[in-house]
Amino acid sequence: MKRKGLRFYLRIYFKILAQDIKSKMSYRADFIISTLGMIFTNIAGFVSFWILFRSFPDIKGWSYHEMLFLYGFSLISLTPVQCLFDNNWSLRSYVYSGDFIKYCFRPINLFFYYQSEVFDIKGLGQLAFGIGTLVYSWNKIGLACTPLMILKIVVFLITASLIMIALQNAAAATCFWIQNSFYILDLAYRFRDYAKYPVTIFSSVFKFIFTFLMPIAFIAYYPSLVILRPDDVPILTWLSPIIGCLFFYVSYKIWMYGALKYNGTGS
Amino acid sequence: MKEIIRINHITKEFKVLNRREGLKGSIKDLFSRDYKIVRAVDDISMSIQQGEIVGYLGPNGAGKSTTIKMMTGVLEPTSGEILVDGNVPYKNRSKNAQNIGVVFGQRSQLWWALPLIESFRLLKDVYQIEDKQYNSIIELYKSLVDIEPLLHKPVRQMSLGQRTLSDILAAFLHDPKIVFLDEPTIGLDVSMKAKIRKLISALNKEKNTTVILTTHDMGDVDALCRRIVIIDKGKMLYDNDIEHLKSFFGSYRTLKIRVDGDLKAQSEVIQKEVPDFAVSADDEWISILVDEDKKKVMDVLNQIQSSHSIKDMKLEEISSEDVIRKIYEEGVE
Repeated sequence: MKRKGLRFYLRIYFKILAQDIKSKMSYRADFIISTLGMIFTNIAGFVSFWILFRSFPDIKGWSYHEMLFLYGFSLISLTPVQCLFDNNWSLRSYVYSGDFIKYCFRPINLFFYYQSEVFDIKGLGQLAFGIGTLVYSWNKIGLACTPLMILKIVVFLITASLIMIALQNAAAATCFWIQNSFYILDLAYRFRDYAKYPVTIFSSVFKFIFTFLMPIAFIAYYPSLVILRPDDVPILTWLSPIIGCLFFYVSYKIWMYGALKYNGTGS
Repeated sequence: MKEIIRINHITKEFKVLNRREGLKGSIKDLFSRDYKIVRAVDDISMSIQQGEIVGYLGPNGAGKSTTIKMMTGVLEPTSGEILVDGNVPYKNRSKNAQNIGVVFGQRSQLWWALPLIESFRLLKDVYQIEDKQYNSIIELYKSLVDIEPLLHKPVRQMSLGQRTLSDILAAFLHDPKIVFLDEPTIGLDVSMKAKIRKLISALNKEKNTTVILTTHDMGDVDALCRRIVIIDKGKMLYDNDIEHLKSFFGSYRTLKIRVDGDLKAQSEVIQKEVPDFAVSADDEWISILVDEDKKKVMDVLNQIQSSHSIKDMKLEEISSEDVIRKIYEEGVE
């Protein structure tokens, strides 16, 4: 048996992806409706954001365009979790019904095999919105476009995505121990809404929670500081890429631990 | 012949919560938990050779699935040891997965949205099957079953029969040494059952694949298995040839008769006349399972004839279904 490295997994992933998209496109009405739905969800989110700023010109020293930057940043960083790890939402029902056992018999990584099965194409609409918003606010704020800036933003986007993925993995994995884990997953999902605001607007208790316990401040706020307020960045921010990787690794381990002790149900 | 599976005295225990009744009980359960240990598999040993088809039988809840899960590496035995082709399945799950194929009757393992041929191509990559081997097995499949109409159909549009067939083909694709089939013919019509049995038997012959089959359908057992293993309540009851099993019950014969009147009602009357033997009735016949050590069939027939007018009769050797039922109900003496 040959060694199974990154290339092996990438090859399989893209094959599944291509097939999945092909089969989704074949259900045309379904595809069009869900695409439209995604566009309207994003427009609605954007409109409520805009209305808010018509009443308040700035929030704690953050201008409209800076907030828009934060908003766009969070949309982009939420795309990978939406596109690539959407199967986490079904984990609970697979485990409950016993169907999860079917993932246990293949000679490949269980976590990979499970997550590879679903690619949520709707996330791409969100990505387009996010990029549009980010580029627009970037121009309006008049930020420079140097290679260093691009590098910074890419690194911090990846970091933010990893943290969001980690939160969702850990929340989904609770279903291996708790029968109705939907609320935990839903909670983790809802928290991401707070990621769009600077943590300075919250009380110090929540600031602590969002920084250390549910690290959603790392999803958009701290990374944005690096770009928008480079002189005013807490030291912790520079560590966030490492923290992101660490969080992802821990959540993966929790997920795998739960999956490997899974017994299945009677048949 | 080469030994492929070795099981030495395995036991599997589960911790089960003793649930109290009612709402009050549930609230109590929240605070004080009272567990009991349930032994799902109790000291089972066996040895299976390469190329055998073994029928693994037992009533519902006997521990069959638990044993299979241990052999496939999903569960770790509480004690005892299992070797599947020299591997400890639980410790080396990925390597073990390369050696086995698994089919669960009603749970498809194929990609739901993909046409069968795409699933096959993905499995080819997942199991790293060589092109030559892949092509030759597809050729073999084409010669055994009519798969052309299935190949381009998404799995979710298939009938249960087609899906089971596809799952079995997928399980054999990487030429595994062992294939576990858990109730493969459950819920299928008669002709599909026959087709699937034929396919399993052909693949076993062609590839010399070991097949472990759990089923409740004695038709599967008669068509496929020479050796059967029976377990109940986690304990092994029987492990030998099916012919040997029948000789255990050699003194049993089934006497079938037809009399005037409603067969169901008449069978109850006859049951009272011959209280030693089990009497049952279907639409056509009244069946009496006679133990010839106790009473000769002719005597039973005479006895019944004295009070009923028998229109027709036939005598049958005990079927494997009857044998298994007797074992489930009474055990092997």
